Amino acid sequence: MAENCSEQERRPIDYTSQMTMEDPLWWLSRIANKLRTVWLARTYPFVSFGKRTWTRYSLHVTRSGARYISIGEGVGFSRDVVLDVCAGPDTHSPVLILEDGCGLQRRVVISARNRIHIMRNAIFGPSVLMIDHGGDVEGRADSAVCGPQAGGGTIRIEEECWIGFGATIVCKHGDLVIGRHSVVGANSVVTRSIPPYSVVSGDPARIVKQYDFSKGKWVLGCIRPLATAERKLPVVAASLLAES
Amino acid sequence: MSDSRKEIREDVLTGFSRAANKLRSLWVAWTYSFASIGKDVSVHYTCDLQRSGAPYIKIGNRVMLGREVWLNIPNVSICDRAAIVIGDGCGIGRRSVISAKNQIHIEPNTILGPSVLVMDHNHAFEDVTVPIGQQAMTPGGRIRIEEGCWIGFGAAIICSRGELVIGRGSVVGANSVVIHSVPAHSVAAGNPARIVKEYNPLKKAWMSVTRPHFLREAEFSDTDKKE
Repeated sequence: MAENCSEQERRPIDYTSQMTMEDPLWWLSRIANKLRTVWLARTYPFVSFGKRTWTRYSLHVTRSGARYISIGEGVGFSRDVVLDVCAGPDTHSPVLILEDGCGLQRRVVISARNRIHIMRNAIFGPSVLMIDHGGDVEGRADSAVCGPQAGGGTIRIEEECWIGFGATIVCKHGDLVIGRHSVVGANSVVTRSIPPYSVVSGDPARIVKQYDFSKGKWVLGCIRPLATAERKLPVVAASLLAES
Repeated sequence: MSDSRKEIREDVLTGFSRAANKLRSLWVAWTYSFASIGKDVSVHYTCDLQRSGAPYIKIGNRVMLGREVWLNIPNVSICDRAAIVIGDGCGIGRRSVISAKNQIHIEPNTILGPSVLVMDHNHAFEDVTVPIGQQAMTPGGRIRIEEGCWIGFGAAIICSRGELVIGRGSVVGANSVVIHSVPAHSVAAGNPARIVKEYNPLKKAWMSVTRPHFLREAEFSDTDKKE
């Protein structure tokens, strides 16, 4: 039973149709979610708020933070998602960008200070934490963790990535890029960039698998290292930025 | 029962949430068509259960489902038997996610800590031309957590193929990632999980494993062998 994968199964699952025959009590929360979505889209000063984006009533986002958040079309938020923006007063561009078709599972926490850019069709498992600034433990222990002095870097999650359950992505300085179609395993801790088409897991995250285009399949180990040393990281990330 | 009375005496407001939990438990037990549901099942009012998935869920006596527990059956249309079986006296900690495509069997008196993930399938990512979110689920395997286990906070138990068994009376440490079977009476911890302690029946004591070993080879090696 486990081995055969029927046609029916191959199709992506349509959760909304699955839910139509559900518990009548479920409609209460559905109405609350709808009202919350409409309320957010109409009254919050989002940079953009795409169509077909649905949020839950338990989404945590502040009105002052919404000015720095751009949400694309068809973005899905599960319950208890936290979008936390602590941008300085001189920030003008959006700090948190969610492109079309992203999916955030329950209890995802995104805390952006400089820039977190999540590109199209990236999906997040439950309980993921993503933070682009860290309390600088060395030296400036007294400075506010979420103040303009907190430093930090930028995070970019490229298209079609999948971030697994409970993963933590922290960028304290420089640019952290998770390359296209990469997979971050459950409970991993990512502090460095990941090349495109890779699977990483562990704490600290290491590359366990990569897609070999010449063979056309996924192979074990790291065949295309992005940065051999962490120090090289900003340079490589910059060149990637130039490509895109 | 004495605990709950104490709780109410401590703060009368807890009575409201207790009442909500009671109502939710009754509502779920009466109106959801579970494969079976035992007595004294406590379902928190924030639990996420699908009505359509209920015929494939078996819940034993005195099971406790904590706040925001999510019992998920991703694709009901391909289920043909009980996919989630929770034995008598199990406790599922708050925010835990149990997602079963084939079968997840939690045997009696096992406790899951908060934020645990138990999944017997996953997203397929192999096709690099299709976004991962739009690819189907992997065929997956089956998971059996035997009697009297304790799964620590935030642990992820993921079975991508075959059968994953966590042996009787074993402990899985906080935030570990378990992708292979754990023998009985042992402590597994880490990401990826390794056996760090074992029960020695001769000495009747838990002994540290001097050189913690991985449960088996890395997860991805056996796919390659198959290929």
